Amino acid sequence: MKTAVARLALLAAALFAWEVVARVGSPLLYVPPSAALPALRDLLLLRSYPDLPSHLALTVREIAIAYALSVVTGLAVGFALGLYRTVGRAYGPILAALYAVPSVIWYPSLMLFFGLDAASKIAFGFLLGFFPITLAVLAGIRQVNPQLVVVARAFGARPLTIFVKVLVPGMLFTLVGGMRTGLALSVIGVIVGEILGSKAGMGALINHAYGLLRTADYVALVMVTLAVIAASDVAASLVERRARRWTE
Amino acid sequence: MAVPLIAIEGVSRRYVTASGPIDALRDVSLSVDAGEFCTIIGPSGCGKSTLLGMLGGLVVPDTGRVLIAGRPVSGPDPRTVATVFQDPGLYPWRTVVENIEFGLELQGVARADRLRTATELLGPLGLRGFAGKYPRELSGGMRQRVAIGRALAIDTPIVLMDEPFGALDEQTRMLMGEWLLEIWRRTGKTVIFVTHSLHEALALSGRVAVMSARPGRIKSLLELPMPYPRAMESPEIVALRAKLWQEIREESARAMSDA
Repeated sequence: MKTAVARLALLAAALFAWEVVARVGSPLLYVPPSAALPALRDLLLLRSYPDLPSHLALTVREIAIAYALSVVTGLAVGFALGLYRTVGRAYGPILAALYAVPSVIWYPSLMLFFGLDAASKIAFGFLLGFFPITLAVLAGIRQVNPQLVVVARAFGARPLTIFVKVLVPGMLFTLVGGMRTGLALSVIGVIVGEILGSKAGMGALINHAYGLLRTADYVALVMVTLAVIAASDVAASLVERRARRWTE
Repeated sequence: MAVPLIAIEGVSRRYVTASGPIDALRDVSLSVDAGEFCTIIGPSGCGKSTLLGMLGGLVVPDTGRVLIAGRPVSGPDPRTVATVFQDPGLYPWRTVVENIEFGLELQGVARADRLRTATELLGPLGLRGFAGKYPRELSGGMRQRVAIGRALAIDTPIVLMDEPFGALDEQTRMLMGEWLLEIWRRTGKTVIFVTHSLHEALALSGRVAVMSARPGRIKSLLELPMPYPRAMESPEIVALRAKLWQEIREESARAMSDA
C-alpha cells in the first residue's frame, strides 16, 4: 500500500515536472501531458486515426509471424548446432560472427528483397528474434549436467528419450528466457522496420504523425505501441516464472 | 563348472587425450558369482570407473569382453544391471518418488505400478515422508539413498555402485554402509562396489579386488569370509586391513608419483 502511494507520488511528480518543462520550453516539441492525454483519448476513440485497429492488427500479425519463425528456426538451428558436434564446429563460429554484426545494416537489403510491405518487417523481426533463441538453446544444452545424461543412458534411455526427459526439462528455464528475449527483439524488429519504411502498421502511423509534426498524436501512438509490447512481455514473464518453478 | 554371473575376460581400454594416450585398463579379468558383494579398490585414476562402465554397457572395451550370465554385454541393459554413481545424478525437476520411478518409467511400467514400487521402497530407504520433496531439499546422504532407490526399483540381479558414498562425511558413510549391507542381505543381489575406503571394503565385501595404478589391472584378490556385522577391531580384520593397506599403499604411491 505504502509502495503504491510512493509510486503514484513519483508518477505525479514526473507528470508535473514534464508539464512545467514542456510549457516553459516548447509545447509542440515536448508535448506536455495536458496535450498528450487528450491526444491519446482521441486516438483510442478513433477520432485522430480511424483506421488504428487495422494498423495495430497488422503490426501484431507481423510480430506473431516473425516470432513464430524465430522460434521454429531458432530451436532447429540451436539443437542442430548443439547436439551434432560436426555441425556445431562447422557453423557455430559463423553464427557467432553474424550475431556480432548490428542487424539493422541488413534492413535495406531486406526491403530490396521483400519490398515495402509486411514481408520485409517479418523478415527483420525474424532476424532479430532468431539469434537469442538459438543462443539460448546452445547455452541450455551446455548447462545440463552431463551426469544426468549418463544416468539416463545407464537406465536404458535412447537418444530421443534423453532429449525429451532429460535435455529439454534440464534446459527449460534458459530456453524460456531466450524465447522471452527473442519475443522482445522480434517486436523491436517489426516496429523499427515499419518506422524505417512502410505504408501500414503502427510504425507507419508513428512516422506519419511525426512527419507532420502532429507531436501529441505521435506520443499517443507511441503509448499504444508501448502498451502492446508491455502486454507481450508480461505474458512472456508469466511463462518464464512457471518454467523456473518447474525446473529448479 | 558353473558359469559365473559376471565374467570379465581380458578387457583393456585406452583413452586418447590431448597429452597422449592413456591406458586406463590393461588385460583385466575377474569373475563374480551370483549374490556376491565384491569390492574393487585402488588408487585414483586406476580405471575402476571404466571397469564398472564396461559392466554397465556404457564403455566398450578395446579388447576382451564382458559376459553377464554367459552373454556378452553390448550396451546398457536395465533389466540386468542397475548403476549407482558417485554423483547421484538426480533429476532436479522430479520429486523423490518420481526420481525413484525413473527407470521403471523408461521401461514403460504403468504409472500406478511404478508408484507402488517406489512408495514401497521409501521405508527401507529411510525416506518415508519425503516422497514429494525435490532433491534440493534433501541432504547428501538422502540424495544418495534416492539414487540407490532408483537402482533398486528396477529390481535387477546386479547392482553396480561407483563410490556411492564418496561425497559423504565419514559418519554418514558408515551408517549408509550398514544400511546397504542390510539391503543387500535381504535382496540377495550381486553388488559390485567401487571405493577408495579401506573401512568400507573391509566392512562390506565378501571379496576385495585390488587394482594397480595406471594401467589398471587386478593386482590381488582378498577373500573375506567373516560373517556380518563385522567387528572392525577383531584381530582378523585388523590383520586384513594391514595386508590390504600394504597392497594399496604401493599403488597409491605410484599413482601419486605419476601424477
